[in-house]
Amino acid sequence: MTNQQTWIGKSVHRVDAPAKLKGEPVYMTDRPLENPCFGRVLRSRYPHARILRIDTAKASALPGVICVLTHKDVPGLNGFGIVIPDQPVLCFDKVRMMGDALALVAAETPEIAAAALDLIEVDYEPLPIVDDALAAIMPGSPLVHETGNIHLRTVIRRGEVAQAFAEAAVVVDHVYFTPRQAHMFLETEGGVGQLMPNGELHIWCPAQAAFRDRLQVARLLGWDPERIREYSSPSGGAFGGKDELTVQHYLALLALHTGGRPVKIHLSREESTVAGIKRHPFMVQMRTAAAADGTFLAQEAFVVADTGAYASLGGPVLNLAIEHIGGVYRFPSLNVEGYCVYTNNGISGAFRGFGVPQVLVALESNIDEIARRLGRDPLDLRRQNLIQRGDLSAIGNPMTTGVGNQAVLEALENSPTWKERTAKKAAVTDPWKRRGVGIGLCMQGLGLGKGIPDYGAAVIELLPGGKFKVGISIQEIGTGNQTAYAQFAAEALGCDVADVEVIQGDTGYSADAGTVTATRSVFTGGKAIQITAEKMVALLRSTGAESYAAAYAVARERGLETKVRGSFAWPEADEEIPGAFGLPHHIYGYGAQAALVEVDTLTGEVQVLEVASVVDTGKSINPMGVEGQSEGGVAQGVGLALMEDTVVREGRFLNANMSNYIIPTAGDVPKVETFIVEVHEEKGPSGAKGMGEVPIVPTMPAIFGAIYDAVGVQMFRAPATPERVYMAMMGDPSATEDTPALRARIAEGRRAGLAAQLHQTEGEGYAQPKGPEDEEA
Amino acid sequence: MELKMNVNGQPVAVEVAPTEPLLQVLRERLGLVGAKEPCGKGECGGCTVLMNGQTVNACLVMAAQAEGAEVLTVEGLAAPDGKLHPVQQAFVEAGAVQCGYCMTGMVMSAFSLLQQNPQPTEAEIKEGMEGNLCRCTGYQKVFDAVNLAAGRLR
Repeated sequence: MTNQQTWIGKSVHRVDAPAKLKGEPVYMTDRPLENPCFGRVLRSRYPHARILRIDTAKASALPGVICVLTHKDVPGLNGFGIVIPDQPVLCFDKVRMMGDALALVAAETPEIAAAALDLIEVDYEPLPIVDDALAAIMPGSPLVHETGNIHLRTVIRRGEVAQAFAEAAVVVDHVYFTPRQAHMFLETEGGVGQLMPNGELHIWCPAQAAFRDRLQVARLLGWDPERIREYSSPSGGAFGGKDELTVQHYLALLALHTGGRPVKIHLSREESTVAGIKRHPFMVQMRTAAAADGTFLAQEAFVVADTGAYASLGGPVLNLAIEHIGGVYRFPSLNVEGYCVYTNNGISGAFRGFGVPQVLVALESNIDEIARRLGRDPLDLRRQNLIQRGDLSAIGNPMTTGVGNQAVLEALENSPTWKERTAKKAAVTDPWKRRGVGIGLCMQGLGLGKGIPDYGAAVIELLPGGKFKVGISIQEIGTGNQTAYAQFAAEALGCDVADVEVIQGDTGYSADAGTVTATRSVFTGGKAIQITAEKMVALLRSTGAESYAAAYAVARERGLETKVRGSFAWPEADEEIPGAFGLPHHIYGYGAQAALVEVDTLTGEVQVLEVASVVDTGKSINPMGVEGQSEGGVAQGVGLALMEDTVVREGRFLNANMSNYIIPTAGDVPKVETFIVEVHEEKGPSGAKGMGEVPIVPTMPAIFGAIYDAVGVQMFRAPATPERVYMAMMGDPSATEDTPALRARIAEGRRAGLAAQLHQTEGEGYAQPKGPEDEEA
Repeated sequence: MELKMNVNGQPVAVEVAPTEPLLQVLRERLGLVGAKEPCGKGECGGCTVLMNGQTVNACLVMAAQAEGAEVLTVEGLAAPDGKLHPVQQAFVEAGAVQCGYCMTGMVMSAFSLLQQNPQPTEAEIKEGMEGNLCRCTGYQKVFDAVNLAAGRLR
């Protein structure tokens, strides 16, 4: 490999920016349509209820209504879900959350479709709900699914835990709660479905897994997947929230009944919030032990994740959280019990960070307290316990790939936010305000994990004039991978970025490279493009031509194939972690952040003034893009730490629009300084790893540490709203959730969880949704 | 009712319901999809257009209120040959675009800000862009873009 690279490592301008900035119809929900009709979804009126009757007669009779569909109109499997299909496409026996779908309407106008929804009669028998994840574990709790409320239990024990706690000089034990953060991508779920004259079903819908979506749709239709084509890129934001089917299933069903007319669905913000997945709220009770010299001895945790009414990716989210329960540090002993449980609180699933931010805030906050009790500098204590390459991680994974924790810690130490913290804290102007600085370190497993098929593939087509078309299923959801892919291709083919057109997310053209999740898109796409480009270079050589333009002419003359394909399998760990599906990961991204905050002691309001954000990307393909991801990740982390929670009371959503679910504005975000650290990953394309999720992960603990540094109170529940910070500062008893009563419930929950007979284990024996016919039989 | 207005310098006359939002008229009747509907409540600024020289949330303007108005949408900024307006070009160069869905609204707010205040301070830029929500960027490169555009338009 030559060190002189033309495109890799350059801050190339985004290739997709001009069309987006001009307002051209690039998004799936902006496509011009000929003779469209409009679809709507009837959602549940109760968070948990038996369905006694659905009558669509009046709705069907409304002039302008084209079709009204119920579960009877699902020709194939009436269920979907990435890991297990436990979510009904259209509910038939009961509803389990407010977002559940009961019927679909297509009509001449959106107004008629809305009126038709009101005419559908549904009789419900409300059922008792379970809206607390810890309560859901207990015997006697209302059941969301007949098979039990525990979707997944993962227990990992390693080393001599009891002995370590007995011998420890310091033991820190707290309970932390994290919120149901909403993705709030600006483009709500939507798209278009159309039955084409050739009998194919086409779906235009922003998404994160085109080929898997196609498979899920084929399954519910009872069709051959080859008859379905999904166009799914670009997306107006996703962050994991479009990883599951969003509206593709509804579009598919409706399109079979609209006589070949395109049918469009575009969810309102309220419907998006109620029906869409969220970040899993976690309760984490964490007990951490250290020796007098600061060496970490043991980590014990009881983790409960609320997946809501359906599994989606709840199991893998729990397991990724557990994998990172010890962060970037050595822990010779570990005892972790984790539960992913069903409730009637909407539905949770993939969200940037994928469970890791939820446990990292507990870990890093505990470490800060250990440092205080030992009189140690928090950064220095962390340095002492860093995993080195060749060590085992907390769950016992041998860390054999590029370990970047040392490098990110050093960069953080040299950042002005940390280095000049004393002066920055003293620069506070108002006497009722206090400033503080806190830090957080993280790692993030990349790719899908041990035992889960993970691969990349691309097609490259030679075009007239020596230009190229690159086809890859991984979508552009905003991260800049389209530009990165053009850079990889231009570098490997020796052309200009402008000569490469990247086609993403189209099952009819792009090769199946899996999902745009798990910070896998640069690694997967880059590697696939490099491997495929070698075949294009071989094609050039075989023609004997001097240039690709000439090669094209020769290839056409000789009837040679001008489209080449390549694929590869992701590297994975040698050994799995017993009892923990998908663990471990093999390659990790690393991050570290320092936050400077200012707390108003009169109101409890926290303003984040600046954040130093360090990311180990392996080789950075596009540094400007990395900065953008870093700044955006921090902004989402600020929201998670201080502002955001989808409030669900008794199963009902209280803040479903942007008027009451507040995301950070231009006035709320800190100044972010990004420091890129490149710990070369020999298995990655040009040494790259990926970094998209990393910057949201350390932000919450850094802010919580900074709040403590400023006003001397530890926050245990995010978001740390002004009320919560103020009450904590006042020493108000209501601010203390860690009561003997909670501890008693946790003890009961641990006993109940371990004693529970599980009807399902990851990957086998999952209950399939039943149709009404099965029930009668 | 028949709604007559000037959109991007062109007179248009369309049959609309009086209660129809201007955003719907632009998107569904005129095919101008640069203005988006992320919230429909005037909270996010994703539908920002200029009406008689002032930024408005097109989702909150009723069609009847736009009668006779001069409306400028993002489609009216670039040159007829497709060359980006300096504000748009600055957004490209500053790396402000990620998913891009909020960016048409951002561009309109930035355009309007710089029309009214060609040399905004850092605080004025922040204030000027506060009505536009973005979930991808953290806004920093948006501020950079406005700064860059201000320097070039001066």
